[in-house]
Order: sequence, then C-alpha cells, then structure tokens
Amino acid sequence: MQVKVLSAKFDIPDANTLEVAKKHGAYATLDKIFAMQPEEVTEIVKESGLRGRGGAGFPTGLKWTFLPKDTDKPVYLAVNSDESEPATFKDRYILVRDPHLLIEGIIICCYAIRSHAAYIYIRGEYTSQVKVLQAAIDEAYAAGYLGESVAGFDFQLDVTVHRGAGAYICGEETALLESVEGKKGQPRSKPPFPAVEGLYGCPTIINNVQSISSLPFILANGAAAYKAYGTEKSAGTHLFGISGLVKKPGMYELPFGLPILDVLEQVAGGLRDNRTLKGIIPGGSSTPVLTAEEAKTVTLDYESMAAHGTMFGSGGIVVLDDTVDIVKLVENLIHFYHHESCGQCTPCREGLGWMLKIVQKILNYEGTMADIDLLLELCDNIEMKTVCVLSAACTMSTRSYLNKFRSEFEAYIAHSASKHATM
Amino acid sequence: MAEKVKLFVNGQEVEVESGKNLIDAIGAIGIEIPHLCYHPALGADGNCRLCLVGIEDGRPPLVPACKTRVAEGMKVQLDTGKIKKIQQDIMEFELINHPIDCPVCDQAGECKLQDYYMRYDAQPSRMTVKQVLKSKKLDFGCGVVHDQERCVLCARCVRFTRLITKTGELGIVNRTDYARVEIFPGRPLNNRYALNVVDLCPVGAMTSQDFRFKQRVWFLTKSPSICHGCSKGCNIFIDHNREKYKDDIIYRFRPRHNEKVNGYFMCDDGRMTYKLENDNRLLGAMIDKRETGFNEAVEAVRRELSQAAKTVILVSPNASLEQMYALQQFAGTINAQVSGFSDGYIKNGDGDDFLIQDDKSANRATFHLLGIDDTRAGFDTAVAGADLLLSFDNDLSLSLPQTDLDQLLGQVKLITVGSRQNDFVTKASIKLPVASFSEDSGSIINCDGRLQRYDAAVIKNEPMPSMIAAINMLGGGIVSHQEAREGLQANVPKLKDIDLDQVPGDGIALTENEVAHVAA
Ligand SMILES: Cc1cc2nc3c(=O)[nH]c(=O)nc-3n(C[C@H](O)[C@H](O)[C@H](O)COP(=O)(O)O)c2cc1C
Ligand code: SF4
Ligand code: SF4
Ligand code: SF4
Ligand code: FES
Repeated sequence: MQVKVLSAKFDIPDANTLEVAKKHGAYATLDKIFAMQPEEVTEIVKESGLRGRGGAGFPTGLKWTFLPKDTDKPVYLAVNSDESEPATFKDRYILVRDPHLLIEGIIICCYAIRSHAAYIYIRGEYTSQVKVLQAAIDEAYAAGYLGESVAGFDFQLDVTVHRGAGAYICGEETALLESVEGKKGQPRSKPPFPAVEGLYGCPTIINNVQSISSLPFILANGAAAYKAYGTEKSAGTHLFGISGLVKKPGMYELPFGLPILDVLEQVAGGLRDNRTLKGIIPGGSSTPVLTAEEAKTVTLDYESMAAHGTMFGSGGIVVLDDTVDIVKLVENLIHFYHHESCGQCTPCREGLGWMLKIVQKILNYEGTMADIDLLLELCDNIEMKTVCVLSAACTMSTRSYLNKFRSEFEAYIAHSASKHATM
Repeated sequence: MAEKVKLFVNGQEVEVESGKNLIDAIGAIGIEIPHLCYHPALGADGNCRLCLVGIEDGRPPLVPACKTRVAEGMKVQLDTGKIKKIQQDIMEFELINHPIDCPVCDQAGECKLQDYYMRYDAQPSRMTVKQVLKSKKLDFGCGVVHDQERCVLCARCVRFTRLITKTGELGIVNRTDYARVEIFPGRPLNNRYALNVVDLCPVGAMTSQDFRFKQRVWFLTKSPSICHGCSKGCNIFIDHNREKYKDDIIYRFRPRHNEKVNGYFMCDDGRMTYKLENDNRLLGAMIDKRETGFNEAVEAVRRELSQAAKTVILVSPNASLEQMYALQQFAGTINAQVSGFSDGYIKNGDGDDFLIQDDKSANRATFHLLGIDDTRAGFDTAVAGADLLLSFDNDLSLSLPQTDLDQLLGQVKLITVGSRQNDFVTKASIKLPVASFSEDSGSIINCDGRLQRYDAAVIKNEPMPSMIAAINMLGGGIVSHQEAREGLQANVPKLKDIDLDQVPGDGIALTENEVAHVAA
C-alpha cells in the first residue's frame, strides 16, 4: 500500500545533505521551471489537483492565482511548518529527512508567484529539526541554489527560518504572519485575505510544508503522474501519521483513497492486544471522530471524510480502542484548545474554559444530564462566531464525541447521581 | 453633504452615509448595534464579536458590523432569532467570569455590560463552575487603577496607547481566559492623556484614582462645557452634583466629542482643572483683608476709580469674548487703559502636536480680535504713571518677575475682580468675587480660531455675580451677556455675520483673516 513519492529519499542515509540529495535528484526540476513562464508553473500545479496539506485542503494552484496581478509590492511566501495539531507528525519528517525537497519546492513556488522572499515558520519545539533545516538552507546558499541568482538563473530568492515560540495558534495562517512580524500571534480577521494583504501588508501565499514539498515531483513528472495516485478529487499521496493503540504506529506515505480499516490492519499492524475498535480520529484532533461502524466505509480522501461528516484534516490518524475513556479524551482535547486559544474573541476565550470546567465537573462525578446539553449548546454558541476556526476545531470535535459517545458521559453522571444518593 | 446609500435594516429601507461601517452608519439613524471593542477613534478590532449581524444573501451571511462597510442594497438583519441569540450568547460569555460587583463599581450606571445585559441578555446565570480569578486594584500609573476581573479584553485601552499616544505602555499578556491587560514591569502609564483609558473602557476595569468611590454616576448632572486648561478648548462634560444639604460640586471633567477640536479625548492636566472650580475660590468681597458685603466693596472700588489719576484695566486671557467686550466698553467710559498682558500663562515648549497647547489660557485669540494689547511693552506703557490697577482675574504674578511686581505694587493700588484666590490676589486692597466659567456662560476662541460657546453648568448655593454684572455695577454700560453679544456683532466687523446666540455645538471656524494674527 505504501508509496514513495514524497518520501522517496526518507530512507536514504544523509539525504538531508546536499551531496546525497543531489545524487538522488534534488534540484533537478530547476532547469525545467526556469524555462517556463511562472504562470505555466502555476497551471501545472492547478492541473495536478494538489490540495493544501495544512488541513483545509484548499487547491494549491488556485490559491496562488488569488494574488493581485500587477502589484508593485513585494510578494511573500510563508511556509507553514508550525505542525502543532495534536496527532500530526508528518512535516517534521520532511524537515529532517529531506529538507532540500522543501527548499526545491520553495524555489518552484516562489518562481510561480514571483516572490523573492520566503519565510519558513517552524514550530518552536522543533529544536533539532530546525538545525537540520538551517544547515540545508546554508548549504543551498553556498551552492548557489538560494541567494542572488538561483542556480545561475536570473532569479533572486532568500529563505529565512522563523522559529515559533510554542503556540498552536501560530499555525493559523494569519496568526503566523503576525508572529513573523514580531507581534503576538493572534489571527487577523479576514477579509482582507493574505493573498491580498499578508505579511507586512503585502500579498502573501501561505502553504504547508507538505504542500510545498509535493511540488518537485509534480514539476518533474507532470500533473498526470501525480494524479495517477489517489482519487479524482483527492489527487496524489499524503504522509499519514498513524498513532494510538495500534501495533505499528508511525508515519506512512499512502495514496489517497484507501479504506481506512485496511490501512489500519495492513499498514499499522492492527489493534494491540486484539482489542476492539472504538473509534478513529481521522485527521488530527480537530476532526470529528468516526465510530468503529462509520470507519467501515471510510476511505482516506477528502470526499469520503466529508460524506461521513468529518474532515480529512492533517492526515494524523488516531486509533481508539475499547480501553479509551471518551470523557477523559474530551477533557484532554478541550484542555488543549482552551490552553491554545489566543484569547482575543469572547466566545473562544471564555467559552472553552467554561466547557473544560463542565467536563471536569462530570469527571469529578458532579455532573448532571443538563451539563451534557449545556456542553452541546455551548458548542453551537461558540462555533463560527469567532475570528478564526480554532474554536470550531474544538467544538466540532467535542460535539462529535458528545453525540456519538453520549452514553459514556451519561455513565459518569449516573454514577454521580448514585454516589450522591448514598451520601 | 456626504454621499448616501440605501440599504435595508430588518427589511426596512433606510438611507445612511456611505463609506462608514455598519455600527456608525446605522447608529447615526438611531439603530443600535451592540459593540464593545469598536470605538470610532480606535477603529475596528473585531474581538468582542458582539456586533455580529446577519446579511441576507451575504457571503458570508454573518459579519462583524464593525468591520463591514455599508453597501447599496445590503440587507442587514438585526432582529432575527439567530442574531438575537448570538447577542445573548456573547453577553453570557462576557459575564460568566465577570465579578458583577456593580454595587461597588464606579462604572455602574454607565456600563456597557449592564446596559447590554438588560437589553440583549437578561437571562439568569448558568455558570455553576468556578470563575477565573485575576488581579484587582492594580496601580497602572497616571492615576489609573485597573481591575483585571472586570476587564472584557476589548483592547480599547491598549489600542489607545498604541494608536493615539503612541506610547504603548499597555498590552494584553497571556492567552485564553488567562489573558489580561498589563503594564510592563516597572513601566507604568506615562503619558499626558492616560486618563482617557478610563472613559474608553466600556466597563469598570479602568477607573480613575481621583474619581473612585466619590459619586454614583446616576447622581451626576452632566453639563456640556469647554475646558479652560489651555487654548485648545477641548469640549467637556462637567459632571457635578448637589448632595443633600451641600453645595453644587464638580466631581470630574470628561471629554465630550467634537471632531473639530478634540475628537473624543482631552489631556489629564485639563481634566484635573475641575479642581480649580471647586477649591481655592474667592468667596467673599474684602476691603483691606476685612470681609465685607459685595455692594460695600463695589462702592469702595467706585470711589477709588473716581479718585484715580490713571487707571489700568488688566484683562485675563481666560475671560470670555463677552467679558472682554464689556471691559473694553467700561474702560472707554472711565478712560482707562486696557492690557491683556499675561506672558506667564504661556509655557513655551509644553504643548504637543495632539491637543495640549503652550498657551494655558483659553481665549487669547479674542485679545487679537478685539485689539487688546497683551505685550509686556504695552503693559509697561499703560502702567507708566498709573496709580490704580484693576485686574480682572489676571494673575499678574505669573507674568511679572517678583521685583518688577513689587515695584509696580509700590506704585499702584491693586483691586482684583476674580473667581479665585492666589498670592497676587492676596496683595489687592479690594477684592470682588465673581463666578467662574463653570458657573457662567460665554464664548471663547481657541488656538485654531474656532469660536465656541459654553453655558453655566453649576449653580452654587450662593452664586457669585457674573463678571459682566460686576463690571456693570462698577459703572460699565453693558448689563448682560445678551447685550454684550449684540454689541460685539454691531461693532466687531469680523463677527458681523455670526449669530453669537446660535453657536452650533461644535463651534464655528472664524475665517482665515480673522485668525491670521492669532497664529502669528
Ligand atoms: C488553529 C489552527 C492551527 C493551524 N495549524 C497549522 C499548522 O500547524 N500547519 C499548517 O500547515 N497549517 C495549519 N493551519 C492551517 C493554516 O491556517 C493554513 O490553512 C495552511 O497553512 C495553508 O496551507 P495549505 O493550503 O498548504 O494547506 C492551522 C489552522 C488553524 C485554524
Ligand atoms: S477563535 Fe480563539 S484562537 Fe481564534 S482568534 Fe478567536 S480567540 Fe483566538
Ligand atoms: S481595561 Fe477596559 S478598555 Fe482595556 S481591555 Fe479591559 S475592558 Fe477594554
Ligand atoms: S488640551 Fe487644553 S483644552 Fe484640552 S483638556 Fe488639555 S488643557 Fe484642556
Ligand atoms: S465591535 Fe465588532 S467585534 Fe467588537
């Protein structure tokens, strides 16, 4: 089932060095792209069906076309390497195993969007990863792949690594821009969209590391070669991080469209200790959970996930077995989003804390049935009333657990009722 | 006239000014969109989410009104169940961690949380878990006291220090419901407009050390007036109250919006000049340090005037247009010289490029309009050979060096007619108390040549006569403000076309010519 498109060099020793990477084809696309017009590059990317790998799945080539046509301002690329969504661990592999793939992708993208400055916003906790990445960038500069004239062509490009300080919210694209500008990482309200008014008020494209790293293959092999993988609306391959209670958790590159349970069995080795499946978080903590029953018909692509009322997300699959306490899981989940809320909008700032305390109250056997309904109502009251979708990420997922595993909440409450009755 | 657009609010067609956001445009025709973080002087931030409104067929269908411009044909929904539910929900979120200590909160009575709770929420609390606790009574400097628990994190105060004073002392530290407004350690508020954050704060999170716990605001009468702290003439409210068995006392000045003068703000020094209206006032007539009746003192002054060989009238640059005119007329009848010498009122270099002016007097521009000389040379010429100096609230000790003052007072007899006590007044042989500006009406012209009108705000238990009445009693011909205005209109060509009785709320700009030498 596994394929090697993005991960082609992942298992090659020292592929993070320029010498080894070049030996295995790094920077081979440059001759080709610089012979094209930037718009032609964008066209190929559009044709390839590549969708953003940061979670929202927005078509990458299409996003680039939102840049204003004749701007006299500089255009920026911001590469989103914040990777802080719980259960998501894919971009880090690119950063350490094949950083030149990312740099080559950045060159391709910047040429297409006529940008001469790219920022890589890297998660603050990625301390060892940033060293490998920076070393690769230094090597690329030294070898002339970055700087005044990229690979000898008449194209200047500078790449700067900007380290985050450990805030999930800085992965949200506009909070990321604020953070790069040296401000507190708080999302901006849109419009204006970054493509029009982004970094330092200039047109800016923000793409995920994996989105950008998918470009060299597409440009080298053509859109059709990429589309040969995956499904009609979910073209290509994805790096899946499979975690949870499976025998072989890890990062696997797979084409889109595979049945999730087959992947669970055949790639991740199945559940540990022959336990039974309770549910699956399909694409990072923000995505609504799938029950074991629902999982039977889900395939790993954007369409199937949407049809099942959830989202493809970041490809971070978490497998839950019958030992998982859903109420505790939800507490953990809300705790995370509450802690990471930037705190600017009232519903998110105040509401998530309230929800957290209600769940804690239930866990302390002090809850009532009305608390479950209040939690559900609060999800509605918060969702989509805010500047960014961090709060929705919390409420959409929380709602899914409340609805699909309501009995587990009720069990806590029944227990508390009997506890109080005997007191 | 600004351009208009037609749109629909709750299905009803309305016409509003174009180019504005929904809150301002629709608010101008009397339809309220609740909001906490938006303030016209600070722009839209979009954090409170209370202003969310529906846009029929809009993409997106739900928008923050503060960030949405009016557009022709837009269909704004405020009264749908969905929008009402959102307003209620946001208010609930605002209040779950709020201390609701209205009984001891200075803001009670003019608090947006109270108002909006009554109008948009009015539900019992559903909060059964522990509230977030934060710090209270924090001294932020400049007389500003902060209560983090009352704060709704609208960031108005933060934006004020960033956008308006550009001093940036305030920030919001931390995230989520731990977020709070803070100063940087050891770096308190340090700007001359800091107290504006108290007015800007929609709740009781920013309070004034000076005003805290002094009055419940619903007892205060809020009378419009003009600050006399400098030549800017910021528009203010005089908030005053006569408590049972007590006198009418001023508790605070607050800025009153006038886009043409001060916007929404005023400086801290000017704000504190309310104290001059309450304290250190000259309350009784005196002859040679002996208290006497007003009429008796007037008689004494008239005697002095009739016996003097040469009288000089010294006018204060804070006197109103009407008062200055009445004095000029009076001077004519008694053949006295008039001087407005008051260099000491000018603090060179103290002004800034925002509101504060070097000239700490309110109406020097009128000297120039009426041809009243305010130079030292003119003053010296006037007092040469004089034996009587009649000062109308001009504190000459600010302008004359001590030795020169002593020498002058050795030469002339000093009589003062004024509203307050000071060292200079103490030296007068006769003192006549008159009303201060907060108890009187008048017109003044500010540093930008804007003529503004104020009316009496405070009515004292024992009111002092107005300065014009005093002048009249001394022998001046003008009996009332009304008569002064008529005289001004008839005799001052530059005021010919101005109806001084009908000065609009935001004042009148005198034409270039009239102010040319004011600026010079
Ligand atoms: C709270 C929040 C956190 C996010 N974190 C990340 C992240 O860590 N990495 C990422 O690529 N995108 C993240 N995103 C999505 C970005 O906002 C943005 O959609 C993405 O970087 C666009 O790149 P793409 O089009 O290549 O997917 C996050 C979004 C939200 C709302
Ligand atoms: S939704 Fe939450 S994280 Fe997003 S901007 Fe609002 S407060 Fe910040
Ligand atoms: S102190 Fe007042 S103005 Fe400042 S953020 Fe809090 S509520 Fe807003
Ligand atoms: S700037 Fe001048 S007029 Fe305005 S408040 Fe200050 S002192 Fe008064
Ligand atoms: S006024 Fe619009 S979000 Fe606060």
